[in-house]
Amino acid sequence: MSDLQLPHINYAALAPMLILFGAACAGILIEAFVPRERRYPVQLGLSLAGVVAAGVAVITQAGTRTITAGGAIAVDGPTVFLQGAILALGLVALLFVGERSLEAGGPFVAQAALIAGSEPDRRQVVRPGATEVYPLMLFAIGGMELFVAANDLLTMFVALEVFSLPLYLMCALARRRRLLSQEAALKYFLLGSYSSGFFLFGIALIYGFAGRVDFAGIHAAALGSDRSNALLYGGLALLSIGLLFKAAAAPFHVWTPDVYQGAPTPVTGFMAACTKVAAFGALLRVLYVAFDRVSWDYRPVLGVVAILTMLVGAVFAVTQTDLKRLLAYSSIANAGYLLVGVLAMSKDGLSSSMFYLVAYGFTVLAAFGTLTLVRDADGEANHLSRWAGLGRRSPVFAAAFTFLLLAFAGIPLTSGFTSKFAVFAAALDDGQTWLVVAGVITSMVLAFPYLRVVVMMWLSEPAESTPTVSIPGVLTSTGLAIGVAATLVLGLVPAPLLDLSTKAAEFVR
Amino acid sequence: MSLSAYVPILGLFALAAAFALFSVTVAPFVGPRRYNRAKLEAYECGIEPTPQPIGGGRFPVKFYLTAMLFIVFDIEIIFLYPWAVSFDALGAFGFVEMLLFIGTVFVAYTYIWRRGGLDWD
Amino acid sequence: MSAGQVALVATLAVPAVGASVVAALPSRADRAARLVGTVAAAVTLVVSAALYRPGDGGWFSFGPNPPAIRPWHDLDVSWASGLDLRFHLGVDGISYPLVVLTALLTLLCCGYTLWHVPDPGRGRLLTALLLAIEVGILGTFLALDLVLFFVFFEVVLLPMYAVIAVWGGPDRRHAARKFVLYTLLGSVLLLVGVFTVVSAAGTGDIVALTAANPLSRGTQLAAFTLLALGLAVKAPLWPLHTWLPDAHTEAPTVGSVILAGVLLKMGTYGLIRVAVGVAPEGARWAAPVVGSLAVAAIIVGSLVCLAQRELKRLIAYSSVGHMGFVMLGIATLTATGLQAALIGNVAHGIITGLLFFLAGAVKDRAHTGLLDDLGGLRERAPGLAGVLGFAAIASLGLPGLAGFWGEAFAVVGSLRRGGPLWSTLAAIAALGGALTAAYFLRLLRRVSHGPASPVVAAMPAGLARPELASWGPLVLLALAVGLVPALVLGMAHDPVQALTEVVNR
Repeated sequence: MSDLQLPHINYAALAPMLILFGAACAGILIEAFVPRERRYPVQLGLSLAGVVAAGVAVITQAGTRTITAGGAIAVDGPTVFLQGAILALGLVALLFVGERSLEAGGPFVAQAALIAGSEPDRRQVVRPGATEVYPLMLFAIGGMELFVAANDLLTMFVALEVFSLPLYLMCALARRRRLLSQEAALKYFLLGSYSSGFFLFGIALIYGFAGRVDFAGIHAAALGSDRSNALLYGGLALLSIGLLFKAAAAPFHVWTPDVYQGAPTPVTGFMAACTKVAAFGALLRVLYVAFDRVSWDYRPVLGVVAILTMLVGAVFAVTQTDLKRLLAYSSIANAGYLLVGVLAMSKDGLSSSMFYLVAYGFTVLAAFGTLTLVRDADGEANHLSRWAGLGRRSPVFAAAFTFLLLAFAGIPLTSGFTSKFAVFAAALDDGQTWLVVAGVITSMVLAFPYLRVVVMMWLSEPAESTPTVSIPGVLTSTGLAIGVAATLVLGLVPAPLLDLSTKAAEFVR
Repeated sequence: MSLSAYVPILGLFALAAAFALFSVTVAPFVGPRRYNRAKLEAYECGIEPTPQPIGGGRFPVKFYLTAMLFIVFDIEIIFLYPWAVSFDALGAFGFVEMLLFIGTVFVAYTYIWRRGGLDWD
Repeated sequence: MSAGQVALVATLAVPAVGASVVAALPSRADRAARLVGTVAAAVTLVVSAALYRPGDGGWFSFGPNPPAIRPWHDLDVSWASGLDLRFHLGVDGISYPLVVLTALLTLLCCGYTLWHVPDPGRGRLLTALLLAIEVGILGTFLALDLVLFFVFFEVVLLPMYAVIAVWGGPDRRHAARKFVLYTLLGSVLLLVGVFTVVSAAGTGDIVALTAANPLSRGTQLAAFTLLALGLAVKAPLWPLHTWLPDAHTEAPTVGSVILAGVLLKMGTYGLIRVAVGVAPEGARWAAPVVGSLAVAAIIVGSLVCLAQRELKRLIAYSSVGHMGFVMLGIATLTATGLQAALIGNVAHGIITGLLFFLAGAVKDRAHTGLLDDLGGLRERAPGLAGVLGFAAIASLGLPGLAGFWGEAFAVVGSLRRGGPLWSTLAAIAALGGALTAAYFLRLLRRVSHGPASPVVAAMPAGLARPELASWGPLVLLALAVGLVPALVLGMAHDPVQALTEVVNR
């Protein structure tokens, strides 16, 4: 016992996560000790400061390529890029979460698990000022930071739980439509735990194969191990299920529409943008670092998953009448396009996938942000038919949303086009023509639901019951402006970010 | 790979199965049968369950809260044992880490306390 | 940056900025906004006309072994280096006439909108959309990079959709949806084709691709098939044309003019510049099929026109036939044929643009486009009938007017190509030309001649000055191109020659 080796820890490289978790703990203490009426500004300020500080810490690590904390954490190009992306998107999501001018007391309640419609639940719905959501956000963002930096499967699993549990809880915090919100949270929790189980079982099998859980060890063992390959493939399959669940890829996507619909809209935006970055960041690391030697074996399988995902997302999106569900299916389809980029298995594939994640994240955040503005007496009006003629009533708002939808549809001069082009080009360079063909065809199919919304807004007569578009507060306006501007800029001049992602596209092993 | 390594395991399986089968089939014939209400409950452990509200089967949520708190501290203790054993080897680093760990649990604990999680009524 | 490069950028920037300014102006300044849009369109026309470089200045500056595309002005900057995308613009004798035509027609349409806004008003938005469409079309003609070409090709789609769906006739929604469905399908094929070429050749630069032809035979066949299918939807080539009659009929007058005048040309221009240039071997391989379909389009278009009972629909179907001639010219892959296609493009743009203006004028006055209800226009409105007669005769290909050269040269090109197939096609196409004459004469007989029908008798007689202003330039151009085809052919001669060398290498 005396020769115990203490792990070397590079605190600077871990700083972003340490800052976020520290801020989250401080947030809990604030919940405990600061009086209720003063919590909101303190919590919001602390969260924003924490995220910004973590962002600064990430930027200082721009050139770092190291493995630290006893091999548990890898800080390299993709880590820094993706951590930065999660923080940037998380910051915008925080702006939407922090908005209080749209609904008295903000869109969240304090206690997720009270029986919907019961006396205490009704009391908390009318009481303003629940701020639990901010520490939860910080924990989730911190967990995602850890998730994309994890260098062994166990750390990855811990990180998975650290960011999943707050998300489950946040889903149930909606002030309006409590029952729907709780249903969403429960579904997400049950299916999420189930997929965590798969992930864990996969780790066990991989450990059985390689005798290690760190990625370099698995990589070395894949070259030649005397254990059965069934362990390797079985383990990889189960791991992938866990990750693809978070990424919302078919056939592990069934939770997505319900959860996206039921969760409070700012949280939905956060999930659609940041969870996707985290899930794909981890998937990229697992596939590119640990399992790149068996890529020939799993590529066809994941290719089929990708095509299935694109098809399911595109085809079901056509039939949706609720905007949140429509965006949920579009997010599923986008997971498919991202998989196309991932499966390119090249430096280009890595960089284009990372670019896609950022571009898509900003667009989807802004889209969900706009959804929070269209309201009637019952809260948000998300049914498609309610949006008829919105273009007449508030042309600026409708124009912005139209632009975002066009970006989703991949129309040129938006970030949607450049990002799709990037992943498809990477996949083609690598000979994955079948994926690209499927991708192009499904994106055409997917253009129709978006165009239907556009037509609905501009060409239909406004009905009597057309909801109003609320004047957004400073926070939401800022968030929307950032999202729309990013969508436009990444469409017109994608070069700077692309260069950045290309420069970052190198894992350490 | 030789399968002989699995023979003892298979033997154990067979033994276990035989024991279970034997106990289940033989017990009704040889054992005494004195039924009462408690023994007819689903979890037949001989103890009368706590009085149930109407409809049955529901516990006040407070019990779960207490149980969860217990588990948290239980696990904390489990981590404390190996730490204490190798305290010398870990040195100051280990001490700080453990303080941080206890501190984190404490943060959650204060939240529960301040929010009334420990009030029984 | 040289003056030419500035002009290239300005050709796209002026209408783009104009569109945003017009859209941003408040709705109470509607007329002022339309005026701003018209000014922007006028500036665009001036700038685009300034792209011309007379003579063969610089023609030999490319050295002894010049590339097949030698743009007069060339702007090549990196757009997204990570994706190997380039912002490569250029103009030469093939694209210049179309660029100017686009700028001219947009100006005329904007000016027309200044005077008359179709229901439901909001002319400022219509002007902004027209300018946005202009950006897309000009960009398509100027792009020398495959991806950029595709990007601009796509830009046109949605504004055009909006123009049809908002300002169109009674069945506008259906027509607009059909337009989008077809065009999106074409775009997907085009995009896959672009991807195929870019990934196989490692570059999307049209100049480099045309010069070097780095693609293997198999790739060329696949690429040409995909590109040609995608572009043929836009052109449109029979049997992919069915969106066209609906869209043209339902679109407002200015929409129809832009659609028929220049939007269709994106397809044929793309076929010449992109499909043939990048995959010449594929073009040689597919030429008989394209030629046969083109001739089928000529015949089918003419026959359908003979049976048409609606004015705008008739003109729309006549476009199918005329574009058939253009496609036939391209399919021959001879210098004559390509020249015919280019001049046919320009002529069709001028004449059909004019015809749609006139049809719009008739419909605005008579409130109907049914041939059965019209008649005797010559008595009631001799001016309008006169211009209509001129446009119809120009369109049917009377020698001395613009329509003649494209049709005649397409047939000649096909004959020169030789062989039983091409001779037969030439013969059938010539027959189609005769049918064209038949249905246009039928049109004139039904609309202009005979006793005035009740609706015609009730319509106002005179012509408004804005109408004259928007028709005048087109009439003059139809005459000018007809009398001096060298206006177009002269500047196109060398690039076409270079292209045929590539194809027959």
